[in-house]
Amino acid sequence: MLVTDQVSKQFGGMTVLNRVSISIQPGEIVGLVGPNGSGKTTLLNCLSGFLSPDEGTIRFGDIRLDRLPAWKISRLGVRRTFQLPSQPMKMTVLEAMLCGASLPVGASMFGLFRPKHRQAEEREAIRRAHELLDMLKLSHLTHQPAGQLSGGQQKLLSIGTALMEKPSVLLLDEPTAGVNPTLRLGLVEHLKEVHKSGTSLLIIEHDMDFITRLCHRVYVLDRGEVIANCHPSELKDNPRVVEAYLGAPKTTAVTGEE
Amino acid sequence: MLDFLLYLVTVAAIYGLLAISLNLQAGVTGLLNFGHVAFFGVGAYATGIVALHGGHWVLGVLVGIVAAAVLGAAVGRIGRTLAADYWAIVTLAIAECLRLIATNETELTGGAQGIGGIAGPFTGLSTTAASIGWIVTALGLLAAGWWLAERLTAIQFGRVLRLLREQPLLAESLGHNVTGAKVRLLMIAAPIAAVGGSVYTMYISFIGPNQLLPIETFLIFTMLIVGGMGNTSGAILGALAVQLVYTGTRFIKDYLPIPAESAGSIRLLLIGVMLTAFLMFKPSGLIPERLRRVDARH
Repeated sequence: MLVTDQVSKQFGGMTVLNRVSISIQPGEIVGLVGPNGSGKTTLLNCLSGFLSPDEGTIRFGDIRLDRLPAWKISRLGVRRTFQLPSQPMKMTVLEAMLCGASLPVGASMFGLFRPKHRQAEEREAIRRAHELLDMLKLSHLTHQPAGQLSGGQQKLLSIGTALMEKPSVLLLDEPTAGVNPTLRLGLVEHLKEVHKSGTSLLIIEHDMDFITRLCHRVYVLDRGEVIANCHPSELKDNPRVVEAYLGAPKTTAVTGEE
Repeated sequence: MLDFLLYLVTVAAIYGLLAISLNLQAGVTGLLNFGHVAFFGVGAYATGIVALHGGHWVLGVLVGIVAAAVLGAAVGRIGRTLAADYWAIVTLAIAECLRLIATNETELTGGAQGIGGIAGPFTGLSTTAASIGWIVTALGLLAAGWWLAERLTAIQFGRVLRLLREQPLLAESLGHNVTGAKVRLLMIAAPIAAVGGSVYTMYISFIGPNQLLPIETFLIFTMLIVGGMGNTSGAILGALAVQLVYTGTRFIKDYLPIPAESAGSIRLLLIGVMLTAFLMFKPSGLIPERLRRVDARH
């Protein structure tokens, strides 16, 4: 469904992505791991339109994504979250959630003159927002300023905002970094539910336990190249992956946290 | 004294419109428009030029609105490729270019002399009747501007603008066309300022390039900072407060032993002190921006 073909990206003289070809099929949860600087976030930026690749193509079904602006890609149903918490200070959690919804009447400047339609679509969005906030255990914060939540809560909230429009593919950049262990386990369950409702996931993550619990398949990037594409349980038997990423072959229980 | 009060309130209401417009740009959307006075000028000169050629004042106001919307869209498109601070410099440059054109072009704009004798809706009435007509018009427009700005910032349209002010990347990732939203906002905000310009020009029946000096823009920024950025009511309160100080200083020379010609400088000095004091001690202004509690009703 979402396929990159030989995608390359350079910054200055440095090759950050070197002919990367990956694919995410409908109904899949795919992990993306690799050492710092291996190009994971750059790949995610290319997929979501925040960067355009120097070479190669990105397709979503029949649609070429690699020259589209980020907002169009998001509207097509490929949404992302960011590595750092990035919620607005001057908005409540509920308002931030509503920003994730597509409200065509209210978003138009002529929406002022169609109050009935506007209120109807907004009511529906508020209902969905409450549903998602319940799922993410954030409902007690509904009317708090979004930007003042803790880092971990903000990351959960950004998953919530991205889910307001039921995306086909959700690209998550380190969803568990800064999230406490119990919430992490909760997040695994939330993401399984999201997946069940028909969203495919691509997850950048350092927590190998998290990856193993959740992902059907995992890509390993190293210096901009895909060095493995396998089931998470096979990673520790792959000498290239061990050398480039997991390190220390003696450990059996790798937490991968940095 | 009554005439003076009428004048004070009328001018404050017109500046209120300009402040509402700038607040939509700078306060709500985070667009630091340092050339805001250009929108005022487009409305003012459109009205003046149409009047000079014998056109009805309604036509003058409409031409001003359309021209300002076009200028707003153009300025917004330029912003597509510029960082916020560079865009601010470009807007200042554009406003200065327009002022210099108005100063040096004589056929259309009357050059440095400006355009005088501009007729408006109350031309021919007695002074008192005209004053009352103008104060009612200005306050009516201010109320309309307040309503428009308040409603626009409350619905999704404004919510997206408030999000892109703080987190433009997040806004983009949620499917919002950031440049498009800025352009549309400018196409609304610019005409509001242009109407202010038209009304001002007809009220004093004159427009000249000296009314388009960059200081005017910063006077309106001072109003926003005093009143509270991001808050429509704050913008109006700030306009009133600054206008009180600005106009009130006319009387300084009556009470203090200073020469009449220094009064103008003292007035600007006071505005500067006010701006600095608020930035240092109350940066969120008299009425700070508040969180908007959303419920299913609104």
